[in-house]
Amino acid sequence: MARSSRRGRNRKVNSMPIIIGVLGILVVVLAGMLFFKPKARSVEPEPFNISRYREDGSRFASVGNRYVLEGKVESIETHGSNRMVAVSIRGNRNELLPLLLLGTPPSGVNITRGDKFIFDVSCRTGRDSAGNEVKGVLIVNDVKTK
Amino acid sequence: MKTLQYFSLLPLVLMTATGQMPDSFDASGRSAQTQNGVQNNDPMRIGETPPPQVFGMELPLLDPSSDTVSYGGAKFDVGNNALVRERFEKFLTQEPDDSEQARLYRKQLQQILDYTERHSGSGSKIGSKTLVKIGMGLYKLSDYPADGDQGGALASAIVSALDALRANRRRDKATAELDAEIDQLIDKTNKLNNRNTSRGKGGGAAGDIKNPNTGNVGMNNTFLIAANTTKIAEKKTQQGANNAASQASLAVARLNYQGLAVWFLLQRRYDHAVIGARVYRHIFRDGDVTMNLDKDSDAYKLFTGISGVPPSINAVDTMASNLRSEVDKSMDAVYGALAQNKLGVATNRLIAAVAVGDYMQSVVSFPAEHRKRIDAYWQLRKRALTTLNARDYDGVEAIAAEMKKMDVDFDDSTLLSYTSARKRQSNFALRSARKAFEAGNDEEFRRLATEAAVIWPRNPNLDKGEQEIARVDAFEPVMEEFRRLLARKEFRNIYNERERFQVVAADNELKKQYTEVVEFVGATDIMLASLKTGSETDRTVGPCLAYEQMTLLMKKDERYSADKVFTDAYGQYAAQAHDFVQALTRAEDCEKRAEYGSALSCYFRARCFFPKSTMAQDGIERMTKIIISATY
Repeated sequence: MARSSRRGRNRKVNSMPIIIGVLGILVVVLAGMLFFKPKARSVEPEPFNISRYREDGSRFASVGNRYVLEGKVESIETHGSNRMVAVSIRGNRNELLPLLLLGTPPSGVNITRGDKFIFDVSCRTGRDSAGNEVKGVLIVNDVKTK
Repeated sequence: MKTLQYFSLLPLVLMTATGQMPDSFDASGRSAQTQNGVQNNDPMRIGETPPPQVFGMELPLLDPSSDTVSYGGAKFDVGNNALVRERFEKFLTQEPDDSEQARLYRKQLQQILDYTERHSGSGSKIGSKTLVKIGMGLYKLSDYPADGDQGGALASAIVSALDALRANRRRDKATAELDAEIDQLIDKTNKLNNRNTSRGKGGGAAGDIKNPNTGNVGMNNTFLIAANTTKIAEKKTQQGANNAASQASLAVARLNYQGLAVWFLLQRRYDHAVIGARVYRHIFRDGDVTMNLDKDSDAYKLFTGISGVPPSINAVDTMASNLRSEVDKSMDAVYGALAQNKLGVATNRLIAAVAVGDYMQSVVSFPAEHRKRIDAYWQLRKRALTTLNARDYDGVEAIAAEMKKMDVDFDDSTLLSYTSARKRQSNFALRSARKAFEAGNDEEFRRLATEAAVIWPRNPNLDKGEQEIARVDAFEPVMEEFRRLLARKEFRNIYNERERFQVVAADNELKKQYTEVVEFVGATDIMLASLKTGSETDRTVGPCLAYEQMTLLMKKDERYSADKVFTDAYGQYAAQAHDFVQALTRAEDCEKRAEYGSALSCYFRARCFFPKSTMAQDGIERMTKIIISATY
């Protein structure tokens, strides 16, 4: 320890490269921030993380709450004018995501089984006939054909 | 003493007169109904099983120890039968007396009977020589021991009667002589009276001067007349005394003789009774055959009871002759029945013959080999009764079979029906007792087992039941262990030692539980083997299938959760089907938190791993219904 201190006191430190490096990093970070800067207050839907949804769906209702999904309709369950659509996500056909379509979508697209669509969805909490919560239900806002 | 003897004979005489014998020795009991002394309530029998019922008819049971027969719920005293039975059994064991002396006795007796029969016709009189022959013959009969000196007694009675008659004749003679003397005295007296009278008319009065002696003569005649009159009176008194003595002597002789004749009848010495009765008429020839019996005496009632007429010596003759005839007929029937191998009939007829006329020659000479045959049958019949009374129905049936072999006429149907019914009754009670035992009802078990034992004490199933109870008692520790394992739900341990725990089947409730456990674990093992094969065949879906099935089973039946083998396999399949299990688990978790969207997504995911998953499909349907019907 004493030897180290003695050596430190006797040695001349060249701090220029460090300063240049730090500055370089700052430049890169700033450039990246500028490049990846989100388009402020954009209404564009967010990408959907199915794994997270499976864990706690209702959490999706609080963050932006607008998502775009592209998938193939695997099954449709009709109840009155509402339809429950099971969609397989692109790249993972074995993963089915349940989407609730209330009435007719604004785009007027006719949803058929076996076809691919782009779904604009948001997560909501409903109430059953007894007034109990029905949490984390993905409701289709609009549909587009792909 | 006389009364006792009378009672010993009376029923026999009555029965023989009607050609019947008491069948109280056997189980028919018909004759027992005619017996007197019905006892409806026997305190000694209170608490005992009531008399058995056979097709609505009570089977009569003779109790040899008390000489009673049960019939129609009443007990009949057949005490007299003991005497007859004893005599009959003694007769069967005796050797027939066919000695030279016996033959001679029988010959002499027959000769005497022939004498009396020859002179029994009306008007035919036995002379004094014949009477002497009869008397001598009777005295000779006494030489034979079996005669019991009865011949001598009869001979003495005849001699005594003759002596009395002889004494009477002497008295009659003396009376006749007295009559003659009285007549002479009367003549003399009359003559003296006449003289006195004639002397009086001719002046021959006292104090006559011409004949001074005349008065003295008259005086003397008067004295003589007075003396004669006194003598006549004395002789007449003597005559009266003689007559009275003769009558008294005759009455005593007659009474003694008649008493002896009745005695012979009562003692079943019919030959002697016949001889005595027939000789009577030749001894007492006044034609008076009426017997002077006390009207209150048993002997008097015996005669009047049968014929309804006052007793006479002729009645003794008739009765004795009839009884002799009946006995001979019975013996003929015995020989006939034996020839046809009808031992039952032969025995009954022989009992009748022995009971009525055991001193009769036809009975006494009954051959030994026949006696042995009937004795064997008789012993069997006795054994049948005692065995029946002991309720040893197997024994009764064996004896009945043996009797049937010996007697072609033996009808064992009633007996066998009765034993069969009783055996069944006992077995039914035993079966109910077994059920009560298995149900753990000790009190009912004890009652029914006792009932079964009372009905048929030698029921072999009683021994079996006893052994089984002992065996069950020995298994009690095993049963206790079984109960303990059952309470801990250690079914696998029970199953692994199922051979040892098999004994719990003795208890009906434990048996049911044992069966359930063994079947459950056995079925579980089969199912696990099947699932194992499936999971090895398809390593992707197989474990999912196994897991799901086992999960469903555990939800349905908690016993699966208690089985370590099952739970181990369950854990193993859960690990192998991790993704599927995780999806399902998460789905259920989300469902509990009302995160129905997430839950539905998880169920979808689970179905991806195992498309045929029931749990996933049910979850999907359930979640879809909730989501689609909610309002947003």
